[in-house]
Amino acid sequence: MNHWILAPVLLPAMIAALIVMFARHEVERQRVISILGTLALCAISVWLLMLAASGAIEVYEVGNWPAPFGIVLVLDRLSALMVLLTALLAIAVLLYAIGSGWDARGKHFHALFQFLLMGVCGAFLTGDVFNLFVFFEVLLIASYGLMIHGGGKQRLRAGVQYVAYNLLGSTLFLFALGAIYAVSGTLNMADLAQRAAEMPADEAAILRVGAVLLLLVFAVKAALLPLHFWLPATYSLTPAPVAALFAIMTKIGAYAILRVYTLVFGPDLSVMDGLVGDLLMPAALLTLIIGMVGILGSTELGRLAAFSAIGSMGTLLIAIAMFTPEATVAALYYMVHSTLATAALFLVVDLMTEHRPGAKGKIIPSPFHRYGGLTAALFFVSSIALAGMPPLSGFVGKLMIMDAARDSDLVWWIWAAILITSLIAVVGFARAGSSVFWKSAQEAAVEVPAHDDARQSESLALTATIDIIGAQVVVTELAGPIAGYLNATAGQLYAPAQYIGAVLRLEQG
Amino acid sequence: MELLVASAIGVLTAAGIYLVLRQRTFPVIIGISLLTYGVNVFLFASGRLAVNLPPVLTKTAEGYSDPLPQALVLTAIVISFGMSAVIVMLALVAYLSADTDRIDMGAEKGEEN
Amino acid sequence: MTLFLIVLLPFVGALVPALTIRAGRDVCAAATGLISVTALGLLLAQAPAVMQGEVVHARLDWLPWLGLNANFFLDGLGLLFAGLILGIGVLIILYARFYLSKTDSMAHFYTYLLLFQGAMVGIVLSDNILMLLIFWELTSLSSFLLIGYWRHLPEGRQGARMALAVTGMGGLAMIGGMLILGDIAGSYDISVILENRDAIQASPLYVPALLLILLGCFTKSAQFPFHFWLPHAMAAPTPVSAYLHSATMVKAGLFLMARLWPVLSGTEIWFYLVATTGLVTMVVAALIALFKDDLKGLLAFSTVSHLGFITMLLGFGTPIAAVVAVFHIINHATFKCALFMPAGIIDHEAHTRDIKRLGGLRRLMPVTFVIAAIASLSMAGVPLLNGFISKEMMLEEASHTVWLGSDLFVPVLAPVGALFSVAYSFRYIGHVFFGPVRTDYPAKPHDPGFGMWIAPAFLVTLVVLIGVASDAMVGDLVATTSRAVIGSSELPYYSLKIWHGVTPALFMSIIAIVGGLVLLSAHRPLERLWRAISVFEAKAVFDAVVESIAAVGRRLTDGLHDGSMSRYAGVFFVTVLAAGGLAYFGGAVGAPTRDPLPIAVVPAIGWLLLVICTGCMIAYHRNRFLALVLMGVIGVIVSIGFAYLSAPDLALTQLSVEVVTIILLLLALNFLPRETPRESSQGKRLRDAAIGVVGGLGVGGLVYLMLMSDFAQPTISAFHLENSKTGGGGTNVVNVILVDFRSFDTFGEIIVLGIAALVIYAVTETVLRGETGRRLARWMPPEPGAGDRHPLMMVVATRVMMPIAIMVGVFIFLRGHNEPGGGFIAGLIVAIALVMQYMASGFAWAEARQRFPYHRMIAAGVLIAALTGIGAMIAGRPFLTSAFGYFQIPPMEEFELATAMAFDVGVFLTVVGAVMLSLESLSRIARHAGETVNLEPMDVMPEETETPEKETQ
Repeated sequence: MNHWILAPVLLPAMIAALIVMFARHEVERQRVISILGTLALCAISVWLLMLAASGAIEVYEVGNWPAPFGIVLVLDRLSALMVLLTALLAIAVLLYAIGSGWDARGKHFHALFQFLLMGVCGAFLTGDVFNLFVFFEVLLIASYGLMIHGGGKQRLRAGVQYVAYNLLGSTLFLFALGAIYAVSGTLNMADLAQRAAEMPADEAAILRVGAVLLLLVFAVKAALLPLHFWLPATYSLTPAPVAALFAIMTKIGAYAILRVYTLVFGPDLSVMDGLVGDLLMPAALLTLIIGMVGILGSTELGRLAAFSAIGSMGTLLIAIAMFTPEATVAALYYMVHSTLATAALFLVVDLMTEHRPGAKGKIIPSPFHRYGGLTAALFFVSSIALAGMPPLSGFVGKLMIMDAARDSDLVWWIWAAILITSLIAVVGFARAGSSVFWKSAQEAAVEVPAHDDARQSESLALTATIDIIGAQVVVTELAGPIAGYLNATAGQLYAPAQYIGAVLRLEQG
Repeated sequence: MELLVASAIGVLTAAGIYLVLRQRTFPVIIGISLLTYGVNVFLFASGRLAVNLPPVLTKTAEGYSDPLPQALVLTAIVISFGMSAVIVMLALVAYLSADTDRIDMGAEKGEEN
Repeated sequence: MTLFLIVLLPFVGALVPALTIRAGRDVCAAATGLISVTALGLLLAQAPAVMQGEVVHARLDWLPWLGLNANFFLDGLGLLFAGLILGIGVLIILYARFYLSKTDSMAHFYTYLLLFQGAMVGIVLSDNILMLLIFWELTSLSSFLLIGYWRHLPEGRQGARMALAVTGMGGLAMIGGMLILGDIAGSYDISVILENRDAIQASPLYVPALLLILLGCFTKSAQFPFHFWLPHAMAAPTPVSAYLHSATMVKAGLFLMARLWPVLSGTEIWFYLVATTGLVTMVVAALIALFKDDLKGLLAFSTVSHLGFITMLLGFGTPIAAVVAVFHIINHATFKCALFMPAGIIDHEAHTRDIKRLGGLRRLMPVTFVIAAIASLSMAGVPLLNGFISKEMMLEEASHTVWLGSDLFVPVLAPVGALFSVAYSFRYIGHVFFGPVRTDYPAKPHDPGFGMWIAPAFLVTLVVLIGVASDAMVGDLVATTSRAVIGSSELPYYSLKIWHGVTPALFMSIIAIVGGLVLLSAHRPLERLWRAISVFEAKAVFDAVVESIAAVGRRLTDGLHDGSMSRYAGVFFVTVLAAGGLAYFGGAVGAPTRDPLPIAVVPAIGWLLLVICTGCMIAYHRNRFLALVLMGVIGVIVSIGFAYLSAPDLALTQLSVEVVTIILLLLALNFLPRETPRESSQGKRLRDAAIGVVGGLGVGGLVYLMLMSDFAQPTISAFHLENSKTGGGGTNVVNVILVDFRSFDTFGEIIVLGIAALVIYAVTETVLRGETGRRLARWMPPEPGAGDRHPLMMVVATRVMMPIAIMVGVFIFLRGHNEPGGGFIAGLIVAIALVMQYMASGFAWAEARQRFPYHRMIAAGVLIAALTGIGAMIAGRPFLTSAFGYFQIPPMEEFELATAMAFDVGVFLTVVGAVMLSLESLSRIARHAGETVNLEPMDVMPEETETPEKETQ
């Protein structure tokens, strides 16, 4: 029993509690503790990834009760990857939040931040559906706090909507779990997988309902059309570092879909007869289109970034909806890219907003008081990434997805959607960028308005942003080895027997 | 009995949905609470119904109701309590700072904090 | 290996300008030039081998999973283009050094230029079409930056965006084409693809692939009808126009057609698509060029026309035509570049490019004149210059090309194009340099310094040399390149001689030249005519299209996402119901296996009450206070129901949670409007009701089905019942599940509660600090409250109740493990007692008497719970493994101690802390709003006894 598997959940929780306990009033101390904790999380998750890379599936039986009766944490290639991605994103975002002084614009930023990390990591690691619900709630309620961090009329009202919408989602989650338990009598995913496979056909209806409702719950998280409506206002009004961190939250939905609908209700499960994919694919295509069209239609940078987040989720879900190993490799690669790219864009947009006090985040020409050139370069690069233009990972990811779509019978639709929307995105970003940066280039620099909070260092914020973009370059450079790992990951996902065996301690021969 | 419980859940859900579709934060919150009642009972019912069989081990009991859903519902109640506390508070401060308790924010869209 | 270097050098070198600019503009230019020169040197080092017919390969695996690898190869075609790109690149860098003014940022310019150069070299050397695609799009991006280089010019912005949109579109289409191509050939490596001609042309996917790829080529090479972006790209500085938009980038399309010529060409569709497009482009563009007054505009359209010329040749699909195409690529690069640079010089010196405002520069700028004259004569195809020879050969090929059975169409149109070309070439000379010297130039023109004219001078020298001794100059190059293009080692017979004897082509040339001169002499009237008929402006159309798309996008997205939560929720419910229904009706349901429990009277009454209350809720929810009361009642009924259905713990929990929630809502309602206005229309309400009813029926039906049938598979909770006592040490199975079997859930659950409190605290803080806080301070309660704020009775009662409540709490807590109860319920009861205190005696009084800060309580709770779990880890067990034992301390009876209890203490603390912190936050708002606080415990009329005091931040 390897205790390290628990660390990504326990460590942030303890850090958060310690911050509340001992550092409630000193931001500096909070920052130190928070950074140290996150760094430790990074180290641990790297080590966990190396552990998982061996192909072994590690199971941690919390409370020493065997599955399916107790709750288990499961570390496989996928969960290790997601945890690592979370940790790396977290440290960059944290640095940005500190550098930009966002964390000091309200109370309890760091505590909530750490609790959010706990929820996210828990959601990635747990092998129990109800426990998944609990972690969803943990990360959600932390996200509520972070979303309204700093206050403000619009932000608070958007916050109400965000909370209300997600409460509906949580309610739906419980309905789904009730239905599933009522027929299968279990909550453990591996156990559920077995039982679903043996489910007598004449009991299928309720199970199917449960499975589909669950899909919708995850779809809300993943901002899948038509359940994405919470996203634009939320993301565009959320504090930038939080929005950047939310880049991983939409991925949780994607992860959960990938996990549950390969392991439990797999693509060739007789009682589901491919319903999941059939529901998912068209919705994903629409999501992609709405997102990219939104980029072109946006008049505010915040919404531009929000819609590009939707668009990239659409692309990702298209790849997932194919439910083939090849497509899943592409999906996972794109997921890594999309997380980094979305986060980077939100941070850049924040820089553009902070340094153009005149514009208030609108897409209009307005002079920069600082970092005009650098911000322009950063925006250019991150737009390229999100529009999926070369040479960054976005392009590679799209190529992989399109390449994997060959065997799908919707291949022409998928290709057309991806290519046309890429063009729309390119045009949209070009319009936004050229009118923000080029038109305003001539205007004279203005006075630097002193920001309400002291204790901020621009350079740290910039460094953090550049780091995330740099990470994308690395992801592009190392596409080969990464694809190798992802290939093995997809292998694990589409051969669930190993997972089930490990969790239920079946001696598989 | 089953019919009563089923219909009760149905009624709660229907009312909840209707109220969630209102325009102001307060009825929406009430609606969500009704939905929460509904779903809690739903989850509880997933263990089937039993009368006078509390899952407390005794020598004499001739059976027990399913304890697991009860534990789940308990967790769910607590969590939804925390959630509703947050949304109530949020709705309150939103009203205090925006001077309206409309939940739709179409009109002022785009204006900054 | 060298190939990697050649490709990488410009990219890496792109950093150099920024680094060297501090050392001065000359150093910067020199350093930049050095990079291109080095790359060129490396390339030429390979040349001999390639000339021998060798093909240099360099392979590096990047993403084998996809077949995207950094494979490069250098053959004749690659050599020619790489040579052009790097060679002309050097000249451009030299020219730009003197062209750019002091105010232009040279570092930016050279950086973009090198990026472009690298991308371009990448295209022509790639042996992997995915790799090629990457470089392809990179050229679009870098040209976007270069066209927009002069940020202040609106034309620059628009031109850049248009170029990016059009070529970007082509590039994306090409991605599709390339993927298909690779699919057919079974590899993305060009060298492999080139060997699969038959397979590709036989494939049913050949046509779509061809169409998509050609779309890419045509947009990039500005072929009709995608030609319109190129003239607007002329907003770029002239070095850029000369480099990208005449010599190199626009030839990328031609390059690709030549590169894939062996596998794609030779089919009907290829001929008709490519040759026709080329022909039409050649003629139309030449005609437009004739009437352009902007010098660069004229050159732009002439470029388009000549690109069409080459496209047409490639389209013919015959080896000999391909050879001519190759030859003309070389010639065009030389003379067109040599034409742009003088145009830039004139612009630079005379401060205008408008032909109508120029003329007579012959005497003022003799050097420029000579250069421009030679170059344009070559463009016109006058003998002894290289343009003549390739044009002759082109006309020769055209003369015997049959198009749709007509052997006149091409032979007639081709000379027409040549004729126009003669006309505008002579116009360049005639209207700019000849004629009288004018006095009204914007600036006094004179020849520029050596640095600026040396580059074009060098090029025109080539023009002449190739013109007189073409074989000696470029014979081998053309041969090697042509071999690469037609993909076979033996070439058709051709000769690059000036004199081909008396051929139809010769007559065509003569007609063209004479006719061109005639046409030019009649330029004025013709121009009037042209202005009259030409109404159609491509740019306007393009802008309109993009604008309308953007507008539609804005309407669509803003319209759909207008912040209307009630619509969002409606969509949510409908989606859920639809999907749920879909899933349900797709599967079968078994017959009922359980017989229903009898309906007793009491539950029936409870049910009735519940239904009535819910009904009233719908009817009267606008009265918010009433709504709260109803909600309370419903909650109570639900908890009673739990009790009846043998779930005592749930009953207790539901009840206590109910109380706290209602209190919370009451306090909040204090500041919210008391009434909900009736806003939604009848129709909307009916619709919502319909959604509600369907939802209710769906859920109800589902539950009924569940309840009437047994578990399809045995439930795991049997295990919990068995092991609760033996393994968990408790008889209350629900509690044991919470603190032992599934204690991890509970751990998360209390954290949720803690976070909730933190969030509430944080948001209160923020709001009270802000301007809302100030508004609150001026807040007046909607209606005056009851006279005595803290009724004596209640004060006394709560004071007495307090210790009792605590006792009850402790009791409930302790028995929790074996009887209904536990840390959570105990926590809530204690919290409620404290709340009562608050409500009775006012916040300040109670707060003054409570010792521990709630934040710490929450944190402590979480930490204790966690540490309990960690304790097990130290003991070598997994997190949260419980241990319990029975102890005997006489005279007390035996009692049990379980680690689960420590865990439960954590739960208890968190619950109390969380509830209290939330309520305290609410109270802060109240006090901020100036609610009076009584310092004396038993004041009856606070308004009289002391003046209201307000909390001050």
